Amino acid sequence: MSADVIQVIAWGVGGCVVDEGRTGMGWLGVPRGGALDRGALQLANRLVGNRDGSAGLETSGGMSLRMVRAAVVAVTGAVAVIDVDGGPPVGWGTPVALPAGAVVRIRRLDGGCRAYVGVRGGLAALGDDRLGVGSEPSDPVAVSAAVPAQPPSSVRLWRGPRLDSVDAGAWERLVSTPFSVSATSRVGCRLAGAVLAHRDGAVLESEGMVEGAVQVPPDGSPIVMLADHPTTGGYPVVAVVDPADLWVVVQSSVGSVLRFSDGERRGRR
Amino acid sequence: MRLLPCGPRAVLAEFDSLDEVMASASAWRTAAWPSVVDIVPAARTVLVVHDGSLDSSLLQASPLSTATVEADPVEILVAYDGPDLESVADAVGCSTAEVIALHSAPTYRVAFCGFMPGFAYMVGAPAELHLPRLSTPRVRVPAGSVAVAGGYSGIYPRESPGGWHLLGRADCELWDERRHVPALLPPGAAVRFVPA
Repeated sequence: MSADVIQVIAWGVGGCVVDEGRTGMGWLGVPRGGALDRGALQLANRLVGNRDGSAGLETSGGMSLRMVRAAVVAVTGAVAVIDVDGGPPVGWGTPVALPAGAVVRIRRLDGGCRAYVGVRGGLAALGDDRLGVGSEPSDPVAVSAAVPAQPPSSVRLWRGPRLDSVDAGAWERLVSTPFSVSATSRVGCRLAGAVLAHRDGAVLESEGMVEGAVQVPPDGSPIVMLADHPTTGGYPVVAVVDPADLWVVVQSSVGSVLRFSDGERRGRR
Repeated sequence: MRLLPCGPRAVLAEFDSLDEVMASASAWRTAAWPSVVDIVPAARTVLVVHDGSLDSSLLQASPLSTATVEADPVEILVAYDGPDLESVADAVGCSTAEVIALHSAPTYRVAFCGFMPGFAYMVGAPAELHLPRLSTPRVRVPAGSVAVAGGYSGIYPRESPGGWHLLGRADCELWDERRHVPALLPPGAAVRFVPA
């Protein structure tokens, strides 16, 4: 497997090879890792006929790839401006057969924060900016295109284990006032908006955190933990993002506005 | 034990003591409920991550195993030549040879992992060696450094910043992805330090 098929000309912002990560390793200090928007990578893989969990590429823009050999690719996740030299155009959510020599440039992202490239056969990092492609999967390439999912009007939150470490009105402000993204990385997404004030006296020892945990440092600005989060943390976790809605946080770039709602009230957004 | 909410796929169990944390984490791991994905012990809590279908009354009902698992201890050869050996001896009020004897006497247990993959927080150090962290952490702690702080002993799997007192160096592979359990010292493991 892994013939040398793709050369990475530029990794761009946050460019990396990702699979879906691995669960069950938190007890050894290892978070899930893998694609921040797991559903988007899964879609890219399914479009090119790969098994779920195959590795692809994640990027926040500025990635350039040269096809050393012919390859079938699909781009999902954030809606990106994509140029192709020496091959047919690549649109969102559509598998495209690219000839040897084609150069694909994922320039800037318009809607969203992380785009994914699935390559038929799955990817393996060979070092030196070279990527190998695995053997031909038995499933065919999808014949139809996908359409980008519309983000819900709000992201559902569940109450966290340390909600009582912040002031009494904190939950209400969290689920009723808008927040904007002030920073985002593979580790977490920091929010600006209403301040969630620490109560005095409560000093926590570090404790286990889930992906999607909303941690509040003493400055009162919440941080949502993403795929590469530390497995334990010492700031209070006041809420947890519903796993089904976490992709909305992942796809929110700096400056975008997020609204939350009480996920425990069934059916309400 | 108190069960605290942690979203639709996890629950955080809080305990009064580290002993209860270790006993419950060990018992729940042994129970191997099919819905449970991960069991993450820490100093006062155990995070139970599941697939959404865990009946948390299982956690309430499970008897706490007080019997320690009598696994053979992992023996770690240590060259006790760390840069903080003298200052630790001063703080304890003894010789460096006595610090080495104190640190290598007990059998330790791994309470939990964290900080970085394969970093084990080990309990069992004699009370004399329960020292606060350095007031100024080091920017660079070499991989393999054997260290104590806050009542715990640890070994740095990789070079990193760190604020613990460095007693010596171990030459062992703390993290190996080819192993079934990549960490040499997972929670529950018994450990002995052997002066090289």
